Amino acid sequence: MILRWMRIGLRLAVLILFFLWTVIPIALVVTTSFKLPRDIFSVPPVIIFTPTIENYVRALTAGDFARYFWNSVVVGVASALLAVGSGSLAAYALVSLRMRYARLIADMFLLGKLVPAVTMLLPLFALLNVTGLLGTFVGPILAHTAVNLPFVIWLVMGFIRDIPPDLESAAKVDGCTPMRTFWLIIGPVILPGLVAATILSMQFSWNELLFSLQLTNLDTYTLPVGISKFVGSISVDWGKSSAAATLTMAPIILVSFLIQGYLAKGTTGGAIKG
Amino acid sequence: MSAKAGTLRGSTLFKHPERVRSRGDRHQLLAVALIIPAATVLVAVMIVPLGYALLMSLFDYRVGAESKGSFVFLANYLRFVEDPLALSSLGLTLLFTFCAVSCEIVLGIGMALLLATLPVSIARLLRGVYCMPLLISPIIVGLLWRYMYDPTFGLVYYFLGLTGLANLFGGLQEPASALFCVMVADIWETTPFVLLCVTAGLAGIPADLYEAARIDGAGALGRLFRITLPLLRSVLAVVLVIRGTDAFRVFDIIYALTGGGPANSTLSLSIYAFKKGFEENQMGYAMAIAIITMALLVLIFGPLLKALYSRSQGNAP
Repeated sequence: MILRWMRIGLRLAVLILFFLWTVIPIALVVTTSFKLPRDIFSVPPVIIFTPTIENYVRALTAGDFARYFWNSVVVGVASALLAVGSGSLAAYALVSLRMRYARLIADMFLLGKLVPAVTMLLPLFALLNVTGLLGTFVGPILAHTAVNLPFVIWLVMGFIRDIPPDLESAAKVDGCTPMRTFWLIIGPVILPGLVAATILSMQFSWNELLFSLQLTNLDTYTLPVGISKFVGSISVDWGKSSAAATLTMAPIILVSFLIQGYLAKGTTGGAIKG
Repeated sequence: MSAKAGTLRGSTLFKHPERVRSRGDRHQLLAVALIIPAATVLVAVMIVPLGYALLMSLFDYRVGAESKGSFVFLANYLRFVEDPLALSSLGLTLLFTFCAVSCEIVLGIGMALLLATLPVSIARLLRGVYCMPLLISPIIVGLLWRYMYDPTFGLVYYFLGLTGLANLFGGLQEPASALFCVMVADIWETTPFVLLCVTAGLAGIPADLYEAARIDGAGALGRLFRITLPLLRSVLAVVLVIRGTDAFRVFDIIYALTGGGPANSTLSLSIYAFKKGFEENQMGYAMAIAIITMALLVLIFGPLLKALYSRSQGNAP
């Protein structure tokens, strides 16, 4: 009996410890964003303090934060639509149209997952520089699309394969052309997959630093780049950075809690059938 | 995998080539057309730049002064082998990958198993909370942990101070501890990914297997090593490939936490290539480092990927 209680206690302790380990760093920055300078530097961190929105005011006014936010939205939406649009068409061709060399082509797309970002970035930077497109949205949008494509194709292929073949043959018997079958039959059925792919693509784009850092300029900085400029300086303005970080984290975490089920399926890449 | 995809690869194609091909031919053109948008993006952003990198890694040049570059053939690659900093960054990258990924896998499996013993609703709620780090931008993860590691008001030092160890721990400032600190932040961020994958894998293990094992008198450890882990094998291989390749090309979190310092003690290959290219403007050498990074990635994880892939194909109907 005692052993049993000890075992339950141990489990509980591990669960609580992991909870604290996960939550404390996040909670610390979120609370810091509402603190006055004198409270930010107190050790241990004060839990009860007079909240202020001064940091948010500073982050939103001084650092062009609003523009970074908008830039992130533009890059995220454009690259997600490009990736999911072109990726789902490719996935349909690879799974349903009996394309020749389908497997080889699918493999080639997947190999894209293995290319390190830096290996793509350096030549991309040089090429965009030559073509004069450096600093426009073209760089980050294309780069994010390319990074997301292999995983989008993989995910959507999995969803299309899960459709019972009868459904497609029935459409064919009814005289549907392949494209009509895709719009009217396949599309609606794999809609959850497409939504998951879109959100995960946007999430990647929203969080991505390296490409955006080098391929944008002051006018096209995305949020992570803006934050890296806050953090990069010698003495970090913790109040302002925390406010910016909180504003950047909040949408992603909120959206993810709303659609937790989709996300779990998408994050595991469709590789693992849950 | 549907029967359709199966026939494509299966024997039908070879037994009745004429029939299948003539039926399939009608849609070949459409299929090619549907592939084109995705292929265009990948060619423009991956294939062309990779080719360009391969070419330019044979030159010694600066961005903006391409025509003034001199052809040095393989000198940039030979330089890598003789560059102590490059070799140390390779060692650090391997060390980082090995330590961080093994911790993440052990911790992720442990937490997934623990969550699996809880009632579904509680487990779902906790999993949602545990997965939050996965959603956060690496640059923000860096910010969070720099705040934690701050020598004057960081929480890490506060806790160490309680145990009197604060003076022994160098945090992000000392070469001896900086890489460890980066690993901790990486483990914090990506353990939830392992947790999610293992949870999905656990759902695929039939419960009666455990029942049978219990009747046969297998203990908890026996069930773990005889049933759970062997059946999670392919899931863990997927996790190992995804996490391993990600860790090997680690950039963001190091950039945010240390920028490669102090004294280059956290200089990963990606960071080194980045610095050579963008800070020291030695683009040719930077591209050589980037190409070597990719080649090593393929060499290390290629066989694993291939084994994984051929098995998953073998299982298909």
